[in-house]
Amino acid sequence: MLIVIPNKVDDIELLADKVDGFILGIDKMSVNNNIYLKNLSYLNKIKDKQVFISLNKNFENSELEKLKSTLIELNKYNIKGVLFYDLAVLNIYKSLNLNYDLVLSQEHLSTSYTTVNYYNDLGVKYAYLSSDITLEEINEILKKSKTKLMVNLFGYLPMFVSKRHAVKNYLEYFNLKDSSKINYIEKEGKIYPIVDNDIAVQVYSNNILNGIKSYVNLDIDYVVLNGFNIEIDKFIQVVDMFKSVNKSNADENYSKINSMFKNVDEGFLNTKTIYKVKHEK
Amino acid sequence: MKNKPELLAPAGDIERLKIALKYGADAVYIGGPLLNLRANAINFTLDEIKEAVSFAHSLNKKVYVTVNIILHNEELEEVESYLKKLEEVEVDAIIASDLSIIKIALEKTNLQVHLSTQSSTLNIEACKFWKNEGVSRIVLARECYKDDIKEIIDNVDIEIETFIHGAMCAGYSGRCVMSNFLTNRDANRGGCSQICRWDFNLLNENLESIKGDMPFTFCSKDLSLLKYIKDMIDMGITSFKIEGRMRSTYYIATVVSIYRKAIDEYFNKKDSYEYNKEYEKILARCANRDSVPQFFNGVNDSSCSYYNGRDEVSNQDFLAVVLDYDKKTHMAKIEQRNYFKKGDIACIFGPNHSIIEYKFDKIYDEDGSIIEVVNHPKQIVYINIEKSLDKDDMIRVKF
Repeated sequence: MLIVIPNKVDDIELLADKVDGFILGIDKMSVNNNIYLKNLSYLNKIKDKQVFISLNKNFENSELEKLKSTLIELNKYNIKGVLFYDLAVLNIYKSLNLNYDLVLSQEHLSTSYTTVNYYNDLGVKYAYLSSDITLEEINEILKKSKTKLMVNLFGYLPMFVSKRHAVKNYLEYFNLKDSSKINYIEKEGKIYPIVDNDIAVQVYSNNILNGIKSYVNLDIDYVVLNGFNIEIDKFIQVVDMFKSVNKSNADENYSKINSMFKNVDEGFLNTKTIYKVKHEK
Repeated sequence: MKNKPELLAPAGDIERLKIALKYGADAVYIGGPLLNLRANAINFTLDEIKEAVSFAHSLNKKVYVTVNIILHNEELEEVESYLKKLEEVEVDAIIASDLSIIKIALEKTNLQVHLSTQSSTLNIEACKFWKNEGVSRIVLARECYKDDIKEIIDNVDIEIETFIHGAMCAGYSGRCVMSNFLTNRDANRGGCSQICRWDFNLLNENLESIKGDMPFTFCSKDLSLLKYIKDMIDMGITSFKIEGRMRSTYYIATVVSIYRKAIDEYFNKKDSYEYNKEYEKILARCANRDSVPQFFNGVNDSSCSYYNGRDEVSNQDFLAVVLDYDKKTHMAKIEQRNYFKKGDIACIFGPNHSIIEYKFDKIYDEDGSIIEVVNHPKQIVYINIEKSLDKDDMIRVKF
């Protein structure tokens, strides 16, 4: 299945006949999304698609009632699942009898098959894997897990979520004015998108992930393409390429995507992170 | 009043562990040879953990071992055997956040499991989930407000640990992998390269620079909850945690001893307790970084941010450590840590006595000759002092 995180509400219609589903956020309950629905009735407009709702913020006690009522309200709509980070979602979900499934979506914590399987035993039948693991690791999780897996293969990757309003605070502290919806932070010539909204600060990767070559080698249930900060015309082209790609044209499509954007790489699909640099014992 | 809280200190090695316990910590947390989030610290070998546990238990104190990385497939094989070794050396608990580690610990060993702050647990429902999974203690997220902590304690029957002092992560723990992307070092496996302390150029949506007097950074001030010890004890928090497994012996001795005094003073004399501003001054000087209560009071604004252009210079307050004291001759053998000279006035502090003000009148070298300055790293010298000192007492500048 090919599912997308659209950049704008208007894009949903443009993408509807090309993709199998969407991941959408809800106002004040989601991070790292691009669309934050204020009125859930909008979901009735999306027909015959697998819709996943992301309730992936870290919740405070004061938000738990609202979380519970949202989980209940979502049951009125034809959604496939709810993505969660905070375990409050799982705990409340277990106490309710809901039609949709949960998707483990702890973006940097879903890194092993035992973690995925543990949640499966708790009734979580879907998992959105971490974006900082390799293709080899993804394949091993696929082999050793019963869970339906999602993996992100295109777009800017989320790399930071904070409760601190870093941009707003900086502007306020130095008495500066700016009303950008998306800002950027620059270091050594690399530019990282940063969004400071009602909920949190979210920072994204400098490079756009181009995982189309890996796509043809992955037998995975769901591939996610993230439209964040991507012009819709280009995003549609990317979606079309993912739809038509096969082993014989993968390299060609890979090069086409690379030529469409300034900064593109394969993320961690073929690059292991390191963590021990000295003092080996 | 609720039970007396545990004072939990960090220790990067056996020397710092002994200092922390000596200066008043009830328990220490340490990193072992595997699977902990300070992969680049020296960390303890299993033999050293055994020694640490033995030392702590002889004082009726505890040792917790961090096993708090987020596992990848490749690390899974070593988890069970490692946890069993920790069980064999009788550590009092492990601190973990990865469910794979927690599951193995609970199913295959009798280890107590404390949920790491890496899980960013902020609310009652998440705490209920973890209690149900079998963890015995939850280290709450540093983003928790005071009211949230209280509500959790009032509604979930589980031990709660909160940070009281030290450095803060800029993002939710576990949700920051800037280190992975910018340096390829894995933040959730102990390789964090502290990108949040870097300076950046902030740009608007048209990629134009937005410049304040200092560069943009995610860097936050440190946490200090000294002022709120009273409230925290009354709330019934089980354990007060000090951050900093990479910190020096001097830092640990200073911070632990101050919090030890503050906790004891309130706990022992609740009605006449008065906040001691002198303690605040000592803590501020020791870390050499601004500290605030951070999220505790519900504040989440620029007062928590640190715009200093990374202009941090470590101070030279720590002058020497006492190695030995001869009660007959009143001579203290001390080892230099920073430059001092004849005529300087210092303060000597230790776990067994109040602060002693001392003027360096005569300083003797190892041959018994009088010297004027002590300017060699780890130089051994002798001083004459009437008041009895103990090994590991510390000498700092007077301020």
